[in-house]
Amino acid sequence: MENRTKYLFLKQLGLVAGVCVASSAAAQDDRPLIEPDVTPVPVTEALIDTENFEIGAFVGVLNIEDFESSLVYGGKLTYHLSESFFFEAGVGLAEGGETSFEKLAGDVEVLTDSDRDYLYYNINLGYNVLPGEAFFTENYAFNTNFYLIAGAGATDFAGDTRFTLNAGAGYQILLTDSVSIHLGVRQHYYRIDVLGAEKTSVNTEISTGLSVFF
Amino acid sequence: MPIVILMCVLLLPAQSWAGWLWGQGDEGAAQVQVTEPYITWRTGPAIGYPVFHTSEKGEWLTIQQRKTSWIKVTDSRGREGWVSVADMAQTIDATGNRIELRVPDFESFGNRRVEAGIMMGQFDGAPVTAGYGGFWMTRNLSAELWASQILGSASEIRMVNANLLHQPFPHWRVSPFFTLGIGHIWVDPKATLDQPEERDNSIGHAGLGVRAYITDRYFIRAEVKDYKVFTNRSTNEEATEWKIGLSIFF
Repeated sequence: MENRTKYLFLKQLGLVAGVCVASSAAAQDDRPLIEPDVTPVPVTEALIDTENFEIGAFVGVLNIEDFESSLVYGGKLTYHLSESFFFEAGVGLAEGGETSFEKLAGDVEVLTDSDRDYLYYNINLGYNVLPGEAFFTENYAFNTNFYLIAGAGATDFAGDTRFTLNAGAGYQILLTDSVSIHLGVRQHYYRIDVLGAEKTSVNTEISTGLSVFF
Repeated sequence: MPIVILMCVLLLPAQSWAGWLWGQGDEGAAQVQVTEPYITWRTGPAIGYPVFHTSEKGEWLTIQQRKTSWIKVTDSRGREGWVSVADMAQTIDATGNRIELRVPDFESFGNRRVEAGIMMGQFDGAPVTAGYGGFWMTRNLSAELWASQILGSASEIRMVNANLLHQPFPHWRVSPFFTLGIGHIWVDPKATLDQPEERDNSIGHAGLGVRAYITDRYFIRAEVKDYKVFTNRSTNEEATEWKIGLSIFF
């Protein structure tokens, strides 16, 4: 009797279990063999690294009208408004030399040593006119930009701070998407009356710089 | 020994910033799927760069970085290229939703909280360069801080101002405003003048101007301000200033 009861129950149990296994197996067919153990993360702006700022240093030669040429060095901070336009704030340091008059006259000094320290700062708007690519061997291509730039600022030289306009052009070579080299030419214009009559001083700057995006 | 430790300390983070330096940061690894029939890839982050590849519908792309309105992506085969933000906004992420890429528009201009800009113009005939930052308390009212430098033929003037600004029509694309403020002025005469006299005074000003929304986060701002310089002489001085500049909002 006991055997028969066992038989009846077990048979039914086995049947139910069998159906369960079969049904669950059928359900599993739709799913991948291995469930990925990650929860999907929504992509938001906070996840994307935005690099619109650029900071850099430069060194070059500044031709200071009447006061010889000087080594010039400084820094720049750039904010890229769009693919074409950018703002640039720059600071440069140089040192004025002797005028021809001082050299000829001997022991005459037009300016004291501290007045010969040349400091300029400016805010500029740049425009990438010719974006392009430069090819270095057959394996490397660097993105480049040829840009025009102009702005205003001040020059601290010969005892006074003078309103200064500047304009120029530059060539940027992006070694990577975050590091670039700049080659630039800039003209600085200001009014000065240190050597007699007031005139516009035109100072040419040629510089090379390195910058990083962040 | 200290040099060795220093070297180790300097080299430790090298691995972490090397990735950033070479533009291969894997930290975010934000992945998106193309839903449009295809999207085009350019070799650089500007419309002038050539299209060199396209991704088909269903392909997964990994976002590397963004520059202005371009996003650098890589695909499963390691190719790299730049896709426009407008195209990326049509992709979906792993949750199946469109990815969140806000492109600032005129509506966000109306709801801005902070603005900043650089302006140039003339202050009593001399060139002025100024920078400012403003905070919006309501859609109509903001508080601003200004710093200006005026480089005249006779003196260098520095000026700071704080002002309240009211715009009656915040929903206009070209929106006028009125402003009132106070500040301080420092006058430093040129060294070549006969009797240089340094002085600093309190100032007050009233002005009116206009903002014109351009695109993205940018707008043009122009204004005229009338300054009253409170001197300790029998008369106060007045100066009129006009400026125009480009501003950005957040």
